[in-house]
Amino acid sequence: MGASTRRLQKELADITKSEALQRVFRDVQASENNILAWSGLIVPENPPYNKGAFRINIDFPVEYPFKPPKVTFKTKIYHPNVDEKGQVCLPIINPENWKPATKTEQVVQALIAMVHDPEPENPLRGDLAEEFLRDKKKFMKNAEEFTRKNAEPRPSD
Amino acid sequence: NSAKFVPNVARGAPPDLLCEVAFDGNTKRTETRKKTWKPAWNEDFNLLVTARSKLDFKLMKPIRNKKLTIPLAAEGRPDGQRLGELLVTLTCDQVNMSAIQQQSQQSTGAATGDSNNSGEDLPPGWEMRRDARGRPYYVDHNTRTTTWERPSPLPPGWERRTDPNGRTYYVDHNTRTTTWQRPSTNLLQAQQNFHDWRNAQNFQDFANRFINMPGAGGAGNAEAGSGSETGNGTAPTAGTGGSSTTGSGSEDGGLGPLPEGWEKRIDPQGRAYFVNHRNRTTQWEDPRRLGNLKPDEERPLPEGWEIRYTREGLKYFVDHNTRSTTFTDPRTGINVHPSAKMQYERHFQWKLGQFRYHCQSNALQGHVKIQVSRQNLMEDSFHQIMRIDPVDLRKRLYIQFKGEEGLDYGGLAREWFFHLSHELMNPMYCLFEYASNNNYSLQINPGSSINPDHLQYFRFIGRFIAMALYHGKFIDNGFTLPFYKMMLNKPLNLKDIETVDNSYYNSLLSIRDSDLEECDLGMYFSVDYEVLGEIREHELKPGGRDIPVNNDNKEEYIQLIVEWRFRRGVQEQMNAFLNGFKEVIPLEWLRYFDERELELMLCGMQEIDVDDWERSTIYRHYNRSSKQVQWLWRFIRELDNEKRTRLLQFVTGTCRLPVGGFAELIGSNGPQKFCVEKCGKETSLPRSHTCFNRLDLPPYKSYEQLKEKLLYAIEETEGFTQE
Repeated sequence: MGASTRRLQKELADITKSEALQRVFRDVQASENNILAWSGLIVPENPPYNKGAFRINIDFPVEYPFKPPKVTFKTKIYHPNVDEKGQVCLPIINPENWKPATKTEQVVQALIAMVHDPEPENPLRGDLAEEFLRDKKKFMKNAEEFTRKNAEPRPSD
Repeated sequence: NSAKFVPNVARGAPPDLLCEVAFDGNTKRTETRKKTWKPAWNEDFNLLVTARSKLDFKLMKPIRNKKLTIPLAAEGRPDGQRLGELLVTLTCDQVNMSAIQQQSQQSTGAATGDSNNSGEDLPPGWEMRRDARGRPYYVDHNTRTTTWERPSPLPPGWERRTDPNGRTYYVDHNTRTTTWQRPSTNLLQAQQNFHDWRNAQNFQDFANRFINMPGAGGAGNAEAGSGSETGNGTAPTAGTGGSSTTGSGSEDGGLGPLPEGWEKRIDPQGRAYFVNHRNRTTQWEDPRRLGNLKPDEERPLPEGWEIRYTREGLKYFVDHNTRSTTFTDPRTGINVHPSAKMQYERHFQWKLGQFRYHCQSNALQGHVKIQVSRQNLMEDSFHQIMRIDPVDLRKRLYIQFKGEEGLDYGGLAREWFFHLSHELMNPMYCLFEYASNNNYSLQINPGSSINPDHLQYFRFIGRFIAMALYHGKFIDNGFTLPFYKMMLNKPLNLKDIETVDNSYYNSLLSIRDSDLEECDLGMYFSVDYEVLGEIREHELKPGGRDIPVNNDNKEEYIQLIVEWRFRRGVQEQMNAFLNGFKEVIPLEWLRYFDERELELMLCGMQEIDVDDWERSTIYRHYNRSSKQVQWLWRFIRELDNEKRTRLLQFVTGTCRLPVGGFAELIGSNGPQKFCVEKCGKETSLPRSHTCFNRLDLPPYKSYEQLKEKLLYAIEETEGFTQE
């Protein structure tokens, strides 16, 4: 078991126990034979995304924690900061800002905060950002519809 | 007609554009289209042209009309069939675009008159039709599209495919690329021309590189140079008389035995010299003083210190912290030359002369013939070079390209070094890789062992590089500065990481600057790495996997990880490289130089165009008319080319410029122009951020102060510009 492997195992244990993430981030696990590949389910609490749940992947580089992890949405989401391929632009894991002391728990918290409060100033999807700014009502309606149609069911408990 | 810009060109505020066509002394202009990157005019001009007419198209801004120019070549075509189409090559300096190609359609009414008699010979599924004015156009029933251009069969190696949305695209199996545009012979020819032009331009730039050699000005100078070298050889004994003989004797005792393969001899005049039996070279300098340091001297010098040598070859120490020099070794407290005096100055030219002197005095009679084919350059060169006794590689080179006549008076050798240095990157051999996406300097590929002969190849490349230095030839692809440091056996530091991997560097900085009591890193003195898909662990020191990193040991951790970052997976290859090098000339000959000087020696200097530099520079918290900026350009203009190159190295991490000059400098996030930022106090030294090509220039109070600090920063590379 290598150096970053050990840290990731501890982080995985911590994030499972995390109280802050208990309700909103579930089902987190590493892939069977690769501790560098995680997946989990984001369960947002605010509209318009609280009508479904979203699966994400977290991929860690071998050089972790010298290099940041990458986060991608596997479930489609109608969100100005997530592009069609599920890529996210999250400042905390931007290579320019990355700090080795940052824990994955903080990364997921930042991700959930972004899902709850879109940042239309730095959009990956200009069309959605524009709609969000110009006609919030319409955006909410579209996003909710999109969520019902495309998102995964929310866990029952 | 209309124009479209490729996305990376269309940045910034959209300009007002109009299109002008000039032909046979006439010009016609379209209306101006305001603020757009996609101007469309749809204006028809009837131009009366002949097959010899030259059409000159210009896209321009109506006010400052020299900014965007599209020279458009319409070749005289006797058959007239293609006169309806023109292939446009756009070049435009102003928006930082090297060149793009674009197809435009231009009706040339009168000329098409007799070009319409062939509907045959079209590819399957195509049909020729005529529009209302009788102009021929072509319908592609496969894709349900029309075009003015007469289709030709796809060039060899191309294939037409359809994507899931039913759109047609074209696959070029030759280059494994795809494009939406149907390839035509003309288009490919133009691309080829462009490619050839770039290559020729590249070689042209390369051929213009130089290095100011002492004595390069003419035979008389060379004579004077070697004269002084001889004088230098006699200096230690003749110059200082009997006392120094005993001095060197006692020093001899302190230095311990000579390295293996070396012998000390006395020439007929009674002067001592040293023979290296390994590669049959001789020199005046004691090899033990030239870098094969005694064990207690192997420790690195304190921060800000440097070892230098006087003109007479005496070692001394520079303390950049206090700007003083001394003969007392700061590590041992021992004065190495009790009686000598010296001055504080750097002598790149002198060092170079010293190196050339070693080369000349170890030259061998005769020549060595190397015959290679251009098609199989790497293999041929490898077999030839490895077959020859490495010592013979110091003979005059005689390069021959198979199937070509031509005597090598230096030109062919120069070409050989140029092309072979490119081949080192050939992915077939997996030997080197680019340092990062934005740093095109080479470093050893840690996965090179996938090539079972890789160590032999590294040995070969070691010989090749030694030959380049020995014969005073340049290579085109340089290595990273840390690679040169490893050649010189200099310790690597945190700053070196910045030149090759900025995010790794930031992470290390963050570890250095954080309180690890507060934020538990969960890290130990071991690291993971990947070899061909398999993850392995390396202990930074014995038992390291159980030693957590904390505030007390983090400095040690950083030092170890820096060394590891550069040596991981490449130590064997580096050793093979150095062994190959040493077979041709001793590494000790390089000990005078620092890594930047070594890069200059190996890659040569380009003539630096200060106008181009100034034009392509951007400012942060300064502007073009700031006092300090004015002073900076005055300072740069006053420098000689070597110093300008050093400044460039200081800021960008390499002395090499892209083919397109300063406008095409690359940083960590793609194109990154040379940037001058106001930063720091006037008492501090300028700093640099090589990954952003950025110079932090404090707001100095006078020209003299700026000059002093900048000179200081670029001459003294190590130790104190980094705090």
